[in-house]
Amino acid sequence: MTQIKERYTLTQPQKMMVFILSMSLYGLSNMITELVPEVNIGPVNFSIEYFAFIPLTLCILFHPFYAAIGASIGEVIFGEVMLGQFSGFGEIEKLVIFTLAMYVAGIIVNNPKNKVQVGIAAMTGVIIHQFLNMISDITKVWIGVDDFEAVSGLPQSVVAIEGFSFLNDVLFSGILFALLPTLYLVPRLYGKIEPLLGMKPRDNKTKYPISGILKPRFIIIGVLLSAVAMGCEFLSEAGIDIFEWEAEFGDTAIWISLAAAAVVALITIIVLVTGKNKAKRSMANE
Amino acid sequence: MAAAKSFADKLSFEQIKIELLNTAYGNDRTLIAKLDPRTLFLWYTFFGIAPWFIYSKMILAGMLVFVIGTTIMTKVSRLIIFILIMGLLGESGYLLIASFFFGGNLGIIVPLLTLTMKLSVISLASITAFCSMSPERLGEGLLRIGVPGQVSFSISYGYRMLPTLFEEYNHIFMSYRLRGKSPEKHGLFYFRTVIYFIKLAVKSFYPLLLSMAKRARTTVEALETKGGQYAFRNPAVKKLKLAKLRIGKNDYFFLLISVLYLMSIFISSHYVQF
Repeated sequence: MTQIKERYTLTQPQKMMVFILSMSLYGLSNMITELVPEVNIGPVNFSIEYFAFIPLTLCILFHPFYAAIGASIGEVIFGEVMLGQFSGFGEIEKLVIFTLAMYVAGIIVNNPKNKVQVGIAAMTGVIIHQFLNMISDITKVWIGVDDFEAVSGLPQSVVAIEGFSFLNDVLFSGILFALLPTLYLVPRLYGKIEPLLGMKPRDNKTKYPISGILKPRFIIIGVLLSAVAMGCEFLSEAGIDIFEWEAEFGDTAIWISLAAAAVVALITIIVLVTGKNKAKRSMANE
Repeated sequence: MAAAKSFADKLSFEQIKIELLNTAYGNDRTLIAKLDPRTLFLWYTFFGIAPWFIYSKMILAGMLVFVIGTTIMTKVSRLIIFILIMGLLGESGYLLIASFFFGGNLGIIVPLLTLTMKLSVISLASITAFCSMSPERLGEGLLRIGVPGQVSFSISYGYRMLPTLFEEYNHIFMSYRLRGKSPEKHGLFYFRTVIYFIKLAVKSFYPLLLSMAKRARTTVEALETKGGQYAFRNPAVKKLKLAKLRIGKNDYFFLLISVLYLMSIFISSHYVQF
């Protein structure tokens, strides 16, 4: 070992192993949480939101990116597709948010034996996830309701409800199902589970692949998604305008709104196709 | 107590397994299930996005009627629809109640109703498009529109492994219960019992993590002997896999009907305002 900071690299099959492990386990846990009944005491909801400790543990022990993406795909497949609740675009949003949160949690830790680090990482992961969820839920009502600010009481109530559920999830699910189990599992599994996949345990000598965050594919996906998001935002503004025109211009407005909807559909298809080609190219580069 | 017991009996792991397989494979004979996945994706692309930008109640109502019709055609299980309705009503109900605290009045009902209508159109469209699709077709369709091969592999793998994993988890959970000691008193609001079960549920994942790690390794090794990684990115393999996907007369017919219907509601919404 001449190099002090060695890059944490995995072979292609090892990445696949981490992916499959994370996908099946988190998927299974998702099904179990669906079965456990909720308890409501007043407005406080004591439901098991998710077993976040599984992806957190795996992100801390293995390569965070593959564990994170495996977990979110597992959630979509076991928790949505199999239960007949697959909802198309909504899943893409969930996938991105969850992967991001878990990945960040994973890269915070550079020594899985350090309990403080593991604890901070677990809470950070949950907070990022729930915070982004809250923002996306508020945005949905904001886009969905015409003249959102003009409706008295609505903006405050949306923020209040979402903010409350954010705190509820972070404090209840976050501590019970993320912090404590992760602190229990990580030290026990560290050094035991890695040999089963044929890899060395991560230790503080191996550096986190900082360049791993800035991989071309990740950047491309990020840019594409933010472009789509901005496009949607833009179109929504335009959509409101179109509706207002209708009173004045009459007939043409119908065709404009029809065209706008068609354009949205077309853009999505183009994005899907180009995304595919870019992914292919970046795969070839690797 | 007796009621709780019979409820627990109904909720056995075996029952859930059967129910799940029914959702996945139960209704692939309907007209919509026979359509090409690409057709449904295209159809969903419109119905999943457009409602966000439509603020005319007339158009939304028209779209809602249409997707209700298609949902009935898919013969989807009632449980799914029930879950959906509860979710939608719950969300708007909460918003309505909370807005009264912030000085709202009954005027809020109309915008909330519009929002609920939008969400219903979107969710019913996704049920129409995806619930009737069998998992293989969904996987093939996703592969066709450029989602990496790993995802469609994961779908098939998930369906294959789920019953095994469920059973294994159940075994571990039961053996923990056999060996362990449940709390003597239930405590306030069954507090101790709940904590005990949560602890077991979490601890049961520890052996499962290890055995699943072994299984993941076996799977990947088996995949590698068949050239899995190579196959995931080879266009020729993909072409061979997807050769059976074909857009037929029914697909064009379905899309044509949808477009005609949409045009008619867009035009009629101009004349009928409410």
